[in-house]
Amino acid sequence: MLKIILQILGIMVLLLAVTLVTLTLKNRNADGPSVLFPGGELVSGQLHQGAEPDWSFTDDVFTIELQTADPVSSRRIFIMESDGKVYVPSGYMRSILGRLWKDWAFQVEDGSSLVVARINGVRYERNLLRLQDPAVVDGVAAKLAQKYAGGATPDNVAQIMESVAEGDTWLFEMAPRSEQP
Amino acid sequence: MNNATYAKLCGGLALVWALGLMFIPPFATTVEGLMLLFLSTNAR
Repeated sequence: MLKIILQILGIMVLLLAVTLVTLTLKNRNADGPSVLFPGGELVSGQLHQGAEPDWSFTDDVFTIELQTADPVSSRRIFIMESDGKVYVPSGYMRSILGRLWKDWAFQVEDGSSLVVARINGVRYERNLLRLQDPAVVDGVAAKLAQKYAGGATPDNVAQIMESVAEGDTWLFEMAPRSEQP
Repeated sequence: MNNATYAKLCGGLALVWALGLMFIPPFATTVEGLMLLFLSTNAR
């Protein structure tokens, strides 16, 4: 009986390993990410130039593709507009799985902040700035709760604010590249 | 199941699984969705 259980566990571990290797290799050089696995450089799509767009159109966008420059990799991520500026979150930042899953956010924090965002097929060159000002976080948390947490109720917003304050969730402003931290 | 049969079963399953992930997009999407669900539930 023990042998059968071990054999079944072995098959499950094998399939997990095959999945990780196969999907990592399949996606790593692709023009954009898959649902979970990072992709490569964002190549297709018109490159936005000119004035800052009215980011309120992102209210109707569930996820965007975000490519970091060093190393070049891309992933799907939530997006929130607040007060005319646009933000992206990274959650689970204090857990072991989160550290593996959200390695890009640590790379941004370490200085690799130049990114390309592809939204509705248009690419935007941006610079990620970690957001920690509670006055600004309040509005962004409300939008995050409204879009992704079932509504901007006081409880939901407070929970997100607490998560940001404790470092479980990191927020980044997608600023124009002309803005330096 | 003896070791030789088990090894053949593992090899066959791994091959079919990998080919499914590579060439059947809905299968890959479903597997990724389940992994995302696991991560978002347990990565706390």
